[in-house]
Amino acid sequence: MRNQLIIRGCLERARFTLDLDLSIDLDEPLGIMGATGAGKTTLLRIIAGLEPDFTGSVAFCGEVWRDGMIDRVPTHQRGLGVAFQDSRLLPGRTVENNLNFATQRAPAVDSRLDYMTLVEALDLQHLLRESVDSLSGGERQRVALARALLARPRLLLLDEPLSANDSAHRQQVIAHIGDWMSAEGTPFIYVSHAAAELAQLTRQVLILDQGAVRALGKTGALLEAGNVVSGTGPLSLAAVVVAKDHGSRTATLEFTDSDHAVGALGQGERVVVCREVSEGSGLDAPLQPESDEDQH
Amino acid sequence: MPDDMQAVWLTVLLAGVTTLLLFPIASPLAWWLARSDSKGRSLVEAVVAMPLVLPPTVLGFYLLVMLNPESFVGGLWFNVTGESLTFSFSGLVIASVIYSLPFMVQPLHATFRAVPVPVLEAAATLGASPRDQWLNVVLPMAKRGYLTGGVLTFAHTVGEFGVVLMMGGNIPGETRVLSIAIYEHVETLNYQAAHSLALGLMCFSFLSLWLVYRYTGHRFEVVR
Repeated sequence: MRNQLIIRGCLERARFTLDLDLSIDLDEPLGIMGATGAGKTTLLRIIAGLEPDFTGSVAFCGEVWRDGMIDRVPTHQRGLGVAFQDSRLLPGRTVENNLNFATQRAPAVDSRLDYMTLVEALDLQHLLRESVDSLSGGERQRVALARALLARPRLLLLDEPLSANDSAHRQQVIAHIGDWMSAEGTPFIYVSHAAAELAQLTRQVLILDQGAVRALGKTGALLEAGNVVSGTGPLSLAAVVVAKDHGSRTATLEFTDSDHAVGALGQGERVVVCREVSEGSGLDAPLQPESDEDQH
Repeated sequence: MPDDMQAVWLTVLLAGVTTLLLFPIASPLAWWLARSDSKGRSLVEAVVAMPLVLPPTVLGFYLLVMLNPESFVGGLWFNVTGESLTFSFSGLVIASVIYSLPFMVQPLHATFRAVPVPVLEAAATLGASPRDQWLNVVLPMAKRGYLTGGVLTFAHTVGEFGVVLMMGGNIPGETRVLSIAIYEHVETLNYQAAHSLALGLMCFSFLSLWLVYRYTGHRFEVVR
């Protein structure tokens, strides 16, 4: 119950209605995945109190943040750190000024995650005096991530915080995030399209599809056919059975629903799975086709 | 000539007080106009912009009607201060504030509209209260708007004539501002004195506009 997040209610959007009835223990990091437009960012915005049209309740650690249409705790008092995908830095100011904006408003708590550690780990030391307007997309995202961490949050919300970074920076920063958060004990939610990042950082995953919760469970179980989740199309869960276990966590999966038997995972193709499986067992594998042509 | 210097001082005082008063009056109004989705917004925008198209004598006439000691507002002011709002410096200030309102509101409206909502949301998630966001995010981003609004309001008030004449008349040291002094010099065929003051006003107007263009880097939105 220590880091229990409860969200109940709905929010209508042009493309979908987000209908939520969630009670999630955030003692273990949560990943959120789903196709573009599935409602991932909207869900984070509801938690942050940035969706005034959301009707329902939001509570964290037993503290009611929203009740019906009323914010009991406004955004600035929720103790959040949010790294938005589009960075949202204060324009016209330096990197240092943006980071200071967070530190000046952060609660006085003991933390081993100090300013210089963060700046160096996120490779920002040479950018401190630069205007944020002159930064690349990846650099802006790393500044936004540092700023969210320097807010000393009770709950950290990361919305594809590294999507504009190259793979080297992504790997480096993801490793740091995992270490920092476990050392600080800060609960966090990580939104990403990348199954590998979620597998590395989170212990539980919520899969959204057009505003609906398709699955919530352990990361290992949900991403057991992790390499299947590799495309850019709409995500769906496909029922598969383990046709043959080849050992060393490789198996041949077969779709039980013939409608899915095309695309990213062809019949008889070997895939790497994230846990031991036994032949004949059934699984729900997240399937994300590479292109529209695969979406049957 | 001492009367003209008095008129210069009175004009600068009137323009300065009007500009200072309009900063706090126009700021919340412009913010509301920039952020509100209310159906009444266009109505308020039209009312605020009316001095731009209304003949100054019409505005001056209605202010005279509304602020004279026989009216509710003018009577209340008279009972509290013992002075009349009409044909007084205080009355001129109120008239100038109303008459110059769009010259402050419109540049602020434009600058506030340019403040991205996502940036304010990010500030809120970092613990900034609405007041904190206003002071430490919005205001620094709105510097140009305040400079433009301040300069335009000051310059416009310096050049006021119709409203001032209707509300204040021509009382030296009280309501005789530069434009009234020029008018009086022309009426008395003292073209030399009128020319000196008029040239000074022209130079001032040019410098004001040059300052706005030079330091704001964009055209202001007040259209007349």
